[in-house]
Order: sequence, then structure tokens, then C-alpha cells
Amino acid sequence: MSEFLGNTQGALAALYEILQTSVLQLFADPTQLSPNQSVVVAAPAMFVGAVLWTFWSGQRRTKVKLRAEFTPGKVYYHAPPPLKVIPCHTPFGMKLETYLRMADIPYETMYSWRMGPKGKIPWIEYNGEAMGDSGLIIEFLNREKGVDLNQSLSEADKAVSRAFTKMGEENTYWGGVRNRWIDNLDQMQELMEVSWIGMLLLRSLRVKRRRNLWAHGMGRHSKDEIEGIVEKDVKAISTFLGTKPYLMGDEPTEADAAVFGQLSEVCCAFPGSYMERLVTVEYPNLQAYFNRMKDRYWPDWGELTKTSVPLSVIEVLSSQYL
Amino acid sequence: MSQGIAATAVRWIFSRGQKGSKVALRAEFTPGKVYLHVTAPVKTIPCVAPNAMKLETYLRMAEIPYEPMYGWGVGPKGKIPWIEYNGEAMGDSGLIIEFLNREKGVDLNQSLSDADKAVSRAFTKMVEENTYWGLARNRWIDHFDKLQQLYEIPWSVMFFLKYFGLGKAKQAMWNQGIGRHSTEEVEGIMDTDLKAISCFLGTKPYLMGDDPTEVDAAVFGQLSEMCYCIPDSYLYRIVNVDYPNLQAYCNRIKDRYWPDWDQLTGNNA
Repeated sequence: MSEFLGNTQGALAALYEILQTSVLQLFADPTQLSPNQSVVVAAPAMFVGAVLWTFWSGQRRTKVKLRAEFTPGKVYYHAPPPLKVIPCHTPFGMKLETYLRMADIPYETMYSWRMGPKGKIPWIEYNGEAMGDSGLIIEFLNREKGVDLNQSLSEADKAVSRAFTKMGEENTYWGGVRNRWIDNLDQMQELMEVSWIGMLLLRSLRVKRRRNLWAHGMGRHSKDEIEGIVEKDVKAISTFLGTKPYLMGDEPTEADAAVFGQLSEVCCAFPGSYMERLVTVEYPNLQAYFNRMKDRYWPDWGELTKTSVPLSVIEVLSSQYL
Repeated sequence: MSQGIAATAVRWIFSRGQKGSKVALRAEFTPGKVYLHVTAPVKTIPCVAPNAMKLETYLRMAEIPYEPMYGWGVGPKGKIPWIEYNGEAMGDSGLIIEFLNREKGVDLNQSLSDADKAVSRAFTKMVEENTYWGLARNRWIDHFDKLQQLYEIPWSVMFFLKYFGLGKAKQAMWNQGIGRHSTEEVEGIMDTDLKAISCFLGTKPYLMGDDPTEVDAAVFGQLSEMCYCIPDSYLYRIVNVDYPNLQAYCNRIKDRYWPDWDQLTGNNA
């Protein structure tokens, strides 16, 4: 054992020696670098550069891998795999899948951590093309499949429906992002069932999330201000819902998919947070509404969450490069 | 003034982002007075920032006296508009309005039921967190060449914005999400939002009924930028031609709360 340690120590010392001489040579006279020295300097630099570029780079359109063969007219739905507490950790995944179930559109689920064409999840493949953004996908499928979940609504009600959808997705959603990625990142270890390596990855991804939050504007507020903003949104949804079974009346409409998507995260994926307290204690009609939608459209919730798959670091990294 | 614009442009472009701004406050102030920091009026509109139009319309609706301080300096959260009140700087128009409501005992929504207040909140947030970004995208990416004319800035500042600022703006829009869509997709999103406002407004004089409420300040803030600026844009067409009740609504609020519009914009020839 001590021989092994001695050997390792010796090897490390030799490596350090080579690195030191290489770097000094690089600064002194790069033209005199030997091939070995060049590799010793270039390899770590490239590795560090690759890691930084992965996690910090901005506007790269993702190269998505499509299926070689597909059934025309079939929806291939790409989303991250279920977790212990919820079938999909992104509210837009919950929304899109709930919509597919509400509209009775058959789909094949392809679980993976790869991002879609706009660098977001969920995304779909349809007739050999990749499509991103749950809102645009829903509009497309409405046209393609002749679906209209809002047909019973008046024009004014459709307008209100749009307003609540957008408030939930463009405002309340960011409060959730802040809570999950900035204030309570450690909780993600349990949520995503990751090891300490996975947590390193998540901490690196946090850099991007901070940038998203700052650009949006929510990231410029203090924690208390954000709590106040989210509470007002949640109160508005609760007040508008009132004693109705669904947001716009007796039957579910498209807005219910969107609002359920956001609420499911609030109810299930933020244990012990102020968000959980809002829906269970202060506005319990939201918890009841969540249960109602879950029972109706997610009878397989328990089954899905039992097949939870931990976050795969390899897959996330490979989706950036391969 | 163009010195101030140039200074702000340089600071913004070269800043590393995500830092609250250090603001220079007035040495002397009148207690209880609102000092409103916005950008100066231009030919087409009293302020090119939609949330500044919203905040100033709110102050006029609530009859809160204020002193405008024109400049391009950003507030404590790195945004415009911002106010100084009792020696403190405050950012974010929404939080400012909530604060002034409490401080000055104002409630523009008192005639609304709770359900109507909820709908009011939803429309405010839709217009500020979704429609706003379509407007930003339209100005900075689709009609960037018109920006100099709109903001009335000299070519030197425009040069800076073009070669150093545009990339940053694009990055911000990518981070927010709107920058990931094509121009046609954004036009579709904006049309859906504006159609929703138009359908909900219908034949009513104001969004929630016969009298103006807080949401009208927010919606007017965003719509005024589309209604009166950049006539070549599809936003101008949507508000003025496709949904004419929106144009009528903007003019109604402009006539009621901005009787000095022409005076401010220097248009009373």
C-alpha cells in the first residue's frame, strides 16, 4: 500500500514538474515547446474551456437528434424522466402532457435529458421535425389535429384564459425558478436523486439560471419581494377559481393545463417552502383543484413516480456536445 | 443630455450584469414628495419606456404630485423608471405602485370585486411579462435601425449601441426566452395577447368597466408604445388597424390623463 502511495506520489510530482516546466516554457518562448509539453498545457486548458462553454454559453441553438424512422402523424413527446414526487420536474412538461391527455392525442413518451430545438424542454418530434416551446406546440397541434379545448368559451373568457395562462407561465414560474435554483438548491439533491457529482453539475447550471432570472427581471428582487409577487399571483388564481371545479367553469379548458402545470410543481416539488404553505394552508381550493385535475388526467401518477430515474450527468453533458 | 445617454450606454454595455446599480440621490428633498426618474420625452411619446408610461399614468390617475427628473440613469435594480422618496431610491414600477398605494392611501381598484381584481392582476402580468418582451424584441431586433430616430440619440451613441449593446440585448432576450423564437412566432404571440386585450375590452371604455382602474395604467403603458411609435412595425398595425378598439382606448386615456402630451413631446407647432 505504501509502495502504491509512494508510486502515486511520485507520479503526481512528476506530472506537476512537467506542467510547471511547460507553462514556464509557454510564457518564455512558445515556439520552443516540445510536443509533450504542448499536450500537457493544451489538454487541461481545453478541458476547462469545454466545461465553461457548456455551462456558461448563451445563445446556442441545440442540435437535436431525431428518430430515423417515425410514424407520420404521431407525436413523439420528449421530456425528462419522472421523479419521486412528480411525473415531470418542469411545469411546461406537466402542462404539455396534460394537454395531450385532455385532447386525447395519442403520443409516445421518449424520456431523456436532451434539450429541444430552442434549448428548452419539453419538445416534440412530429413528421420528422422537432418543435420547441409548449405554447407554440399546443397551437400547432390544435390546428393539425383540429382540437379546440376552448370551444365552449366566449371571446372575453378566452381572453381571461390567455391572461391567466401567461401570468402563471411568465411571472409565477420565475418565482419557482428562483426558489428551486437559488434559494433551495440543496433540495434538488433529493428531488433529482443525484450524487455529489450531479450536484456539481447543478451548481454549474445555476450560473445560467441566474442569468435567466436577471434578464427576466425577477432576479433583481429580494427574496421577500419575490415571495410577495408569487403570493399575489397565487391569490389571484385562487380568487378567480373560487368554488368552481375548473378555472373557467364546470369543464376543463386549455388554461387548466397551463395552470395545473405550474400548480403541480408548487404542490409537489417545493416541500416545506412558502409556496407549499400558500396552496395547502392559505388557498386550499388550489390544492383541491390540483387533486381534481390529477385524479382525472393522471390516474397513473403513482405508477409513473415509482419508476423515477435519477438525473443522469452523462446524458446532460452528452446532450450539449453529441 | 447626450453625455448622460453616452455614459449610461457605456456603463451598461461594459457592466458584468447582475449587479444592482449605485444611484446618485438628491442631497435635499421635500419629505413625502415623489421624484420620478424617467427618460425625457421624445417626439412620438412622453417616455420610451413602457413601465415609465405606466407609472406616470398611475401617478396622474391617483393624483399623487410628483416631480419628473429626466435622465438616462438607471435605478437601484438597474431599471427605469425609478423614484426617490424620502431620501430612498426605489425600483420596479409594480413594487413602487404597491408602496405608494400603502403610503398615500390610494386604491384605484376599490370598486372591483375580488374576482375582478384577480382578472386585473392576470392582465397586468400578461402585458408586462409577455407582451412587453415582444415589444422589446420588435424594437431591438426587428426595427433596430429605427431606434436612433425613436430615442433621438446622436449617431455616436447609436454606434456604441449597435456594436456593443445589441449583442447584450440579444443575450438578455435569449435568457428570458423570447429571443429563441422567430420573428413570425413572436408576431403570433403578440397578436394573441393583443387580441385577448381587445376582446376583453370589447365596447367598454376601460378594461374593467366604466371607470379606469390600476390595470388601465399598466395596459396603456405597453399599448401606448405600440400605438404611437414606429409606424412601420406590425405592432403599430395590430393596435391601430387590426383591433381599432385598442387605438380608441389609448386615445381615451391619453386625452384624459395626458392633456399635456403635445406640450411634452414638443408637437404643438
